Amino acid sequence: MRAFNLIYIVEDDLITSTITELIVSQNDAFGEVKKYMNGQEAFNALQVVAQQPAAIPDLILLDLNMPVMDGWEFLEAFSSLSLQKTVCVCVLTSSIDPDDIEKSKRYAEVKGYFTKPLDGDMLNQIAGLAT
Amino acid sequence: MSYLREELYQLQKTDSGIFDFIQESSLGGLWYWDLATTRNKWASSKFWKIVGHETEAWHTVLSQEDLAAIEAHTEACIANQSYSYTQLVRCTHQNGTNVWLHCSGLVLRDMAGQPYRMLGVLLDITRQRNEEVYTQELASHYGSILSNQSVYIIKTDARGNYTYVNDFFYERFGYDSKIIGTNSLESIVEEDWAKCLTVVGQCFARPEVPQQVILRKPYKDGTIRSNHWEFKGVLNGEGQVGEILCVGYDVTLLLDNLERSKRLLELTKQQNTRLQNFAYIISHNIRSHSANLTSLVKLMQNAKSEEQAAMFLQMLKTSTDKLAETIVNLNEIVTANSTFNQPREPRLLRLEVDKTLQALNILLHESQVTVTNDIAAEVTVNVVPAYLDSILLNLLSNAVKYRSPDAAPTIAIGSYEQGEYTVLTITDNGLGIDLTRNRSKVFGMYKTFHNNEDARGVGLFITKNQIEAMNGKIEIESEVGVGSTFKVYFNESIQSDLYS
Repeated sequence: MRAFNLIYIVEDDLITSTITELIVSQNDAFGEVKKYMNGQEAFNALQVVAQQPAAIPDLILLDLNMPVMDGWEFLEAFSSLSLQKTVCVCVLTSSIDPDDIEKSKRYAEVKGYFTKPLDGDMLNQIAGLAT
Repeated sequence: MSYLREELYQLQKTDSGIFDFIQESSLGGLWYWDLATTRNKWASSKFWKIVGHETEAWHTVLSQEDLAAIEAHTEACIANQSYSYTQLVRCTHQNGTNVWLHCSGLVLRDMAGQPYRMLGVLLDITRQRNEEVYTQELASHYGSILSNQSVYIIKTDARGNYTYVNDFFYERFGYDSKIIGTNSLESIVEEDWAKCLTVVGQCFARPEVPQQVILRKPYKDGTIRSNHWEFKGVLNGEGQVGEILCVGYDVTLLLDNLERSKRLLELTKQQNTRLQNFAYIISHNIRSHSANLTSLVKLMQNAKSEEQAAMFLQMLKTSTDKLAETIVNLNEIVTANSTFNQPREPRLLRLEVDKTLQALNILLHESQVTVTNDIAAEVTVNVVPAYLDSILLNLLSNAVKYRSPDAAPTIAIGSYEQGEYTVLTITDNGLGIDLTRNRSKVFGMYKTFHNNEDARGVGLFITKNQIEAMNGKIEIESEVGVGSTFKVYFNESIQSDLYS
C-alpha cells in the first residue's frame, strides 16, 4: 500500500536531489518522484496543476536554503495556493539551527522537520505521516 | 546703710556657717597662704574636692608653671600695693583629667603695712573651657569638610539662587563670589534643566527625603563634567523649605567608563551573535556535504551494477571536492572574523581601485564594460590592505558578472565623506536584486540570487565581514533590471583602544 503516490523533491544541490530520489524510489511506500531546483520552479509547477487533484503531489520534501526562492518563501507562496488536495510538506535540510526548527512549526502545512542525510528509518517515519 | 547689710556683716563675723555657705556654694575653693619664708598653704575642702584629692597634695595637683606665675604675681603685689591679679591655674585631677581654675589673688597686710598672707579666690571654669575647646574642634572639623578637595557643597534659596558654595566648587568651575545670588540653573547645561527642576520639586514636596540626580556643568576648561548630586530641602523657622542643600561629586570618569563598558558589551554581544550564526553556518555547510557522503557510501555498497557503482563514485568525488571547497571558504571567513587587531595602513582609494580594474582588465574587455572612476586622487582610507584588495575585487567582479544582457554595461565608481566615514560607491546597470524579498539575505552566507553556476554565495558575506572587522559597514540599493549601488563605509576614526 502506497503512502504517497506523487512526491516533489525541492532541492538545489544536484547530488543531494539525486540521492534523495534514489532512496525514495527504493521504498515501496513512495511512488513517482519529480525534482525541482528551487522553490520558484516547484511553485510554478503547482500553479499549473492547482485545479487537477490527480496531478497534485501528496508529499513535498523541501530544502530551506536555495537560490531564487528559498524554502520559507516557498511556504509563504504555497499557503496562498488553494489546492484541491491536502499536501504533506516535510522540511529536509542540513540546518540544525533551533530558530529554523521553531520557524517551521509556524506553518500548518509542515508536518515534519528532518535533517539530512535521509535514510530508510526516516523514510518510514515520513510514510507514517500519510493520512 | 541698710540694717540688713549691717546685720549680715555682723552675723558672718560670729557665725562661721555664713562664710562657709558663701564660699561652698559660689566658689571653686579658697586659698590662704602664709607669705613668711615657710610659705605654708591652706586650701578649702571645696578645692580638694574639685581636684579629687583627699590629702593636701599640692605638688601633684598644681601646674608648676602656673604656681610660679602666682608667686610672681604675689611678689608684684608685695612690691606694689595697688597691684591685683587674676591667673589661670591648671590642676590635675586625681583621675588624670585637667581642671581649670580662675584665681583672683589678694595680698593681706598687717597693722604695720607688711604683707603677710595671700588670699586666693578660685572659680572652676573647667566646663566652660571644655565647651570652648569642643566648639573650636567642631568648627575646624566642619571647616575641613567644607574645604575638602572632592565634594561640592552648595546651598540655594527657595528660588534657586546660590546662597553658599564651597571653595572646591569655586576652584573647579572657575567662579568667584559674584555667583552668590545668581540662579543656579544658569551654570547647568540647558538639556538638564528639566531634570534639575523635577528634583527640586521633589525636595519641596518631601523635604525629609534626599533626592539624587546627575547633572552636567561646563568645567572651567570648557569641558562638560557630570556630577552626582544629593539635594535636600532645609526647613526654615516656619517649617517651610527655605533652602536646598546640595552635595555633589564628579562622576564624569565613572560615566565614561560605564559608557565604555556598555560599548564593549555591545561589541561582545555582536561578536557572540556572529559566532553563533557562524557555528550554525559551519554546521549547515559541512553537514550538507557529509550527509551526501554518508548516503553515497551506503548506496555504493548496495550498487546493483558496475555502471551504477561508477556513477556513485563520480558523485562521491564531486561531493568531496565541494566539501574541500567549503572548508577553504570557511577558513577565509574565520580569518576575516578573527583578526580585529590587524594593522591598518593609509591607502589612496583611487589608486587601489585602478589596480583592481587592471587585474580585471581582460574580463572587463571581454564584457565590454565602460568603467568611470571619479574618486579624487587624494582620498585616503585607513584599511587592512589585504581586506581592501579582497573587497574591491569582489564588488567589481560581481558588477561585471551580473551585468545586464540587454544594455551596454557600465560601472561608475565614486566617493564622498559622511561624518566619520569615507564612503565608496560602486554603481552598475546590471541585473539588480529584488531587495523587498532579499534585503536580509544579500550579505548572508551561501545565498545566491541568479542561478549562476559559479556563484559560491560567499563573496558578499566575506566582504561584509572584512568591512565590519575594520569598524565599517556596507549598504546596497538595487532594483531588478535597473542595477545596483554598493556603498562601502570606511571608518576613519581610530577605535583600536576598544580592543587594547
